[in-house]
Amino acid sequence: MRRYLTLYWYFLLQRFKILLEYRANFMIGASSTIILQIAGLLTIWVVMGQIPDLNGWGFDEVLLVYGLITLAKSINHMFADNLWTIGWSYVRSGQFDRFLVRPIDPLFHLLADRFCHDGIGNFLVGAALVAKSTASLGIAWTPFNALYLAVAVLSGGAIFIALNLITATSVFWITESIPVTQVIFNTHEFAQYPLTIYHRGIQILLTWVLPYGLASFYPASFLLGREVGALAWLSPVVALALLVIAFRVWLFGLRHYSGTGS
Amino acid sequence: MPIIQAENLSKVFRIPHKDPGVAGAFKAVLRPRFEDKVAVNGISFSVEPGEIVGYIGVNGAGKSTTIKMLTGILMPTRGNVQVLGRDPHRQRVANARDIGVVFGQRSQLWWDLAFIESLNLVAKIYEVPPARYKQLLDQFAETLELGELLRVPIRNMSLGQKMRAELAATLIHAPRIVYLDEPTIGLDLIVKERIREFIKQQNRAAGTTVILTTHDLGDIEELCPRVIIIDAGALIYDGPISTIKARFGKYREITFETLGDASACAVPPGAEIVGAEPRKLTLRFDRTLTTASQVAQAVMNAIEVKDFSLAEPDLASVIKQIYGGALREPVTP
Repeated sequence: MRRYLTLYWYFLLQRFKILLEYRANFMIGASSTIILQIAGLLTIWVVMGQIPDLNGWGFDEVLLVYGLITLAKSINHMFADNLWTIGWSYVRSGQFDRFLVRPIDPLFHLLADRFCHDGIGNFLVGAALVAKSTASLGIAWTPFNALYLAVAVLSGGAIFIALNLITATSVFWITESIPVTQVIFNTHEFAQYPLTIYHRGIQILLTWVLPYGLASFYPASFLLGREVGALAWLSPVVALALLVIAFRVWLFGLRHYSGTGS
Repeated sequence: MPIIQAENLSKVFRIPHKDPGVAGAFKAVLRPRFEDKVAVNGISFSVEPGEIVGYIGVNGAGKSTTIKMLTGILMPTRGNVQVLGRDPHRQRVANARDIGVVFGQRSQLWWDLAFIESLNLVAKIYEVPPARYKQLLDQFAETLELGELLRVPIRNMSLGQKMRAELAATLIHAPRIVYLDEPTIGLDLIVKERIREFIKQQNRAAGTTVILTTHDLGDIEELCPRVIIIDAGALIYDGPISTIKARFGKYREITFETLGDASACAVPPGAEIVGAEPRKLTLRFDRTLTTASQVAQAVMNAIEVKDFSLAEPDLASVIKQIYGGALREPVTP
């Protein structure tokens, strides 16, 4: 474990050296996500301007939901972006074979190979939204609330990573996993808003099947004092379980790969 | 005690069968059918520590598949392979510490990083002790002339520089076995020479076992006392290169430039025509049946010869004959 943490640190250092060499690229990447986020936020702002109340949720309350999922997504974006590009930049090019002849875990190698700085923009936007909405809503930053938020965001990030890992594993059968990842990943957009505005089927989907709701709606509800029962506490448990399942799926895919090659 | 032992090693790929056209594509989706493609078929061989073995065959003969099984990337369909007493696939990580792999033109170095930074990272991955790292780096910097390259990012390197950098990165953890998949492809003669020298030196000084796939006969002649030849997935020869040369080297080629029409000439006994143009005749003769002077005399008696030359059979023509099917029946060295 310690060895992997040190190694990750070295990978990160090298990555930043590259980024410093391409400063313009770094700035454009990190800020492009901010601009994209602003576009999304404008939509909420316009919609909420028309209907000040979204099924009982005010503007700042919706912003908190939106901010939480943006933070969770940014963790996935920063630390696991290679799950998107595994097909064309690693498996198809044969670079993935390189990971298999190195004395470290291939999944670790894949993730450590590229910290994605574009996610930093997402992180900043998410943090700003959560700061703004909690301030407006008068949610105090008590140690308990801070810890609760941190756990919720980390669990949310883990849920994103786990689902992307499962879909990315399809690369070992179809050599390009982006379409599969895209379909599953895009459902998180529902969870940018309070789940109560949706049909029951979608609520169940985002709570129990693709639990993106556990990264946004449920923790936000808890902080706002809205009753969601045990679901307020379920995020870390589900995140951990999902990570274990995803890793099993990944290992299964890896076994298939060693049977067939690319 | 062999360092690599392959027994009846086979790899069969199941590939989806598609009929041509749109209809075929639909059929493949609705009712997938699979064909078995035998990439490697029952290969057995063993390699002793410190050997340099040339692993050769035409494209698609199964070289890469074999290397992938030896390195642990692929699992054999049948048969068994042991590398340093381990199963390279099941004990992939342990095996990885003891081997180094150069995959043709795919670099293992980070494109945008200065070479020295890439090397540092590779050394961290393999946990090379700092003192050992420094010593090997100094040694490689000298023999591969890396000094001025250390600060250069890989993307700015020429093909030859890249390959030198690649070799250094592959050997920086002092692996006991290195697999080199076409290490000299596309390089000029001077770089080829330097790389061969480096491989030889590593083999001599550190006792590194080398498995080399190549299409470059210079590599084989200079580096590999022993070759393994595979064709269509099967092993067709395993033995010293000298045996191959002796067996196929009994033929000589002699070319005549003539003043008159060369086709008028009768073929002398023990020889055969390999090329005939109006004023040029190339004959191949078996040295055990006739001599150069007998062949030359017979031709000269028939027509006026302006010039003639005698060619030593090089390994290229020998290999061409083998790939052409001359060794379909396995021979014992």
